[in-house]
Amino acid sequence: MKKLFMLTVLFGFVVIFMGCPPKKVAKPEIEQPPTTSQEAVQKTTEVGPEEKITEQELTKIESAEITKEESPKSSEKAREEITEKDILKDIYFDFDMYNIQPDAKTTLETITAWLLKDPSKKILIEGHCDERGTNEYNLALGDRRAKAARDYLIALGIAPKRIEMVSYGEEKPLCADQSEECWAKNRRAHFVILQEAGK
Amino acid sequence: MNTEYRSQNTEVRINKILLFLSCILYLVSCILPTVSEAKVYIDITSPAFKKFPIAIQELSGISGKEVSDIIKGDLEFTGIFEYIDSGAYIEDHSQPFNPQSWKPLGVEAVLKGSVKEDQDLSVTIFLYDVLEGKEIFKKVYRTNKEFIRSLSHAISNDIYYALTGEKGVFRTRIAFVAKNEGKMGLYIMDWDGNRIIKLGPTGNIILPPRWSRDGTKLIYSAERNRQWGIYILDFVQLNEKKVFFSNGTNIVGDFFPSGNEFSFSSSKDGTPDIYIKDTKEDKIIKLTSSYSTDVSPAVSPDGKYIAFVSDRGGSPQIYIINKDGSDIRRLTFEGSYNTSPIWSPKGDRIAFVGRVGTNQIFIIRPDGTELLQLTTSGNNEDPSFSPDGRYITLSSDRDGSKGIYIMRANGEYQKRITPKNIRAYGPRWSLD
Repeated sequence: MKKLFMLTVLFGFVVIFMGCPPKKVAKPEIEQPPTTSQEAVQKTTEVGPEEKITEQELTKIESAEITKEESPKSSEKAREEITEKDILKDIYFDFDMYNIQPDAKTTLETITAWLLKDPSKKILIEGHCDERGTNEYNLALGDRRAKAARDYLIALGIAPKRIEMVSYGEEKPLCADQSEECWAKNRRAHFVILQEAGK
Repeated sequence: MNTEYRSQNTEVRINKILLFLSCILYLVSCILPTVSEAKVYIDITSPAFKKFPIAIQELSGISGKEVSDIIKGDLEFTGIFEYIDSGAYIEDHSQPFNPQSWKPLGVEAVLKGSVKEDQDLSVTIFLYDVLEGKEIFKKVYRTNKEFIRSLSHAISNDIYYALTGEKGVFRTRIAFVAKNEGKMGLYIMDWDGNRIIKLGPTGNIILPPRWSRDGTKLIYSAERNRQWGIYILDFVQLNEKKVFFSNGTNIVGDFFPSGNEFSFSSSKDGTPDIYIKDTKEDKIIKLTSSYSTDVSPAVSPDGKYIAFVSDRGGSPQIYIINKDGSDIRRLTFEGSYNTSPIWSPKGDRIAFVGRVGTNQIFIIRPDGTELLQLTTSGNNEDPSFSPDGRYITLSSDRDGSKGIYIMRANGEYQKRITPKNIRAYGPRWSLD
């Protein structure tokens, strides 16, 4: 009975003060982390080394750990320096576009003829962009450019398994100046002979 | 897995306790509006709050100036405080607090304290209310000398909380990517650009990392040996795990709140589409399937929506889709190049990069209203909100070399926080 009375009183309080301006109150979700406040209460005013400081120490350890595990790999080595420079020419794209331009057709046909002559050869197509877009979207765009070139070669009769592709987005520019001339050079599909081809 | 379950349980329990405590606090504060714990000196949620005048007396002791300067820098950046210059102070730190010496200066709160140094650092802090002439809090902080910055930020957090009732961001961190000697690496630093630490993983190309909610993991995409893989760096287990790879370009979006799922884009089926990977069940769900380019899936804070970039309408624009793949709608209509969406912590804003000749940071409400441009000079990319949503970090080349900046979420007070000798970009603010 007494309990019931207490409850009623408490409920009464809740109802009465429901309309109290919330301005003076800390919102429940943004209450301080319990660790800190409990610590403050239990140890009066003393605050030990904060949990995040320890985390910071951890971070220092782990970077060393990971550096050891991580063996640097060079993808560059997997490629052969191009000898057929005249055949494997870059093809170029318009800003934010990935359709094959009419002037790229000759290059793609020459590459096809060269690939058809030596069936042991395999190539990698790299898709690149100029720096003006944003990184992630440019990677997707580079992907589309490489794919467009690959689809073109496949349409001309090259077996899909002979053509690998990768997007480098804006990360590996040929030309570093900020000019339209330079950007145009960077918006390219680049062809590389894969060393492991035919082996 | 067991621990995780337990910790979630504990969290729920703590949340319940907190909720209960706050309810009591609410009642008490209503009855006695002058109870000091509950008094909010600055209502930062009000659109027209007045800057709060605070005096920060240089703490006594050898490192006193360093600690006071860090606190001052923290509080000034918020734009909430008006720092009253020490030149005008009547009282020096050897004298006890007397409200009468501060009232003429228009000061409303005073910070005093001392730093003691032996092997460790011990800082005693007093925060006073001038108008009521009483102590707001007193606290002793102890730590190893090496962590003087963390300790000072902890003091700032306590001051901020005591005066605003909100959690400060002064101990949060920013993860980013930087290029050093031709190699890309992952880095983390304090929110103010101090204590830059290089993490282990490298790659031919590494894309900006994203934090897990609890701050114990980073997830990122890296190109190694001509393959785009998605990796998790675990700060607790001190290792890196490959969590997804396939042919094509695979780029991670975000963790979902649970931490067991993440969004990503992949061109494994031909063109880039949006996917969700469930690491617990080890399964993949495809959300979009179109001939267009779909990329950069940003997960809303409640995990219900994904904002992403698609060129399905002819140019890259931001779209929102439900987590189950239903109800795709276009968010941006201004301009012809809008990319890199990210949600604010409350889910009430989306920041993105819009191209207006150069790349600039914009914010917009998820319903498409209140579009606002926040930056104007140079190219500005990679926006990311602070955990309280009041600030945004970004990368910019406005000073020539690419670096990381922070600003208030309304675009005010933009400042560079990384040094000129590192080409740093892709900042992501920790979520807690």
